Amino acid sequence: MANKPQIPTKNSALIAMIADEDTITGFLLAGVGDVDIRRKTNYLIVDNRIFSVSALFILPFRLQSASKLNWMFDVILYWCLTAKCFTCLETTVKQIEDAFKDFTTREDIAIVMISQYIANMIRFLVDRYNKPIPAILEIPSKDHPYDPAHDSVLSRVKYLFSAESVASNRY
Amino acid sequence: MSDLGEIESPEILKQSQMNEADNQNQRVEDEDVLKFMDSLDAYLCLLHSLSSTLRQGWFDFASARYSMGASRVNSALLDLKEHPAPTYLEVRKAQGKSEIGEPHFALCKWGSCATGDSSETEDSDVLLLDSNSNIRQRYKDTSKAPVEGSNSPVGVPSTAADDRVQKERSKSLAVFGTLVSPKLRAAQLSFETALGTLVEIANARASMLSAFDQGFKTRPFRPGTAEYTRNYTSTNRKRLKNWSELRSTVERPRRPRCNATRTNDS
Repeated sequence: MANKPQIPTKNSALIAMIADEDTITGFLLAGVGDVDIRRKTNYLIVDNRIFSVSALFILPFRLQSASKLNWMFDVILYWCLTAKCFTCLETTVKQIEDAFKDFTTREDIAIVMISQYIANMIRFLVDRYNKPIPAILEIPSKDHPYDPAHDSVLSRVKYLFSAESVASNRY
Repeated sequence: MSDLGEIESPEILKQSQMNEADNQNQRVEDEDVLKFMDSLDAYLCLLHSLSSTLRQGWFDFASARYSMGASRVNSALLDLKEHPAPTYLEVRKAQGKSEIGEPHFALCKWGSCATGDSSETEDSDVLLLDSNSNIRQRYKDTSKAPVEGSNSPVGVPSTAADDRVQKERSKSLAVFGTLVSPKLRAAQLSFETALGTLVEIANARASMLSAFDQGFKTRPFRPGTAEYTRNYTSTNRKRLKNWSELRSTVERPRRPRCNATRTNDS
């Protein structure tokens, strides 16, 4: 037991969250949200939204009846909106990785709660993590139910059961 | 005869001691395996429970958004001013396991910590049931029912602690306006229950990993187990392959056959 990590006792440790908007808002209602002096939060909202494409359909009607000056203004506005229409307002994998690394290195965090579908995006990071604190917990999300096959903790012990089933087939 | 008895008894004693030690080791190993399987079962059951609690919370949240409007219930209203978390965790070493690195998490909801996790979840389950039936009844029950364990700080009466808890809850809800839908309050309770379940899952996870490290990682492979079959036989196969390759490349002088039999001395 010489190599066992020391468990630091903490009196007030936080729960960090990396999940979708509804899950984060729900847990913030339960009182786990923390904002420090530097406005650093203990949560990251992973957003996957596409900007509305409705503007693409409105402007062509306006262009038909506009004067020349208004027409030029409208063309510029139309191109700006077109560019924005195809912009996805989503959280990048790099942002999720940075948030995960930040939460797992902070000393005031004891549990990091992450939606399983988000954990799958950074699976290599989650599987490589093996410290007792903060504990990484994978939770289901609204659109992605929990899958035990992808859980990092269960995958560590999975080989026992798969090997046992192989052995039982042999003998 | 007496000489034979004197010669045999130390060997028999030694053999019996070794058998006892083997039996004890076997018992300890079986306990480790049982502990691991128990914590694995608890982990999976708690995850299933968490899924259903979260589903209820999302449903209540969606109902609140429908009744109050999407502009009143979204993450843009979240308070980014400096404030500490009213709900936090206490981390300690697991009792009786000071040598092993197994942490134990305790949830402190709204600034008050409970001694046991089960009492915490039962209390929140009661609140959830009451909120589904009648909101006014829920408030009455929480003020009247004394909370088990050391939920209130020392010297503070339980009603004052309950008032403080209710105040913190209202502050949390106030982000979405003064008058909020009952569904939003129900969603808050669902997520509080889910939080209690999450802490239990964290404890089950720590127990499972500790039992796994104790029971399977440090033990040498035993014949007949899957690890033995996978590791030793493949190693032997590799060793034989390397030996046969080496033998084919190197020409060794042949030894003359010896007809003499082995003696007991050799």
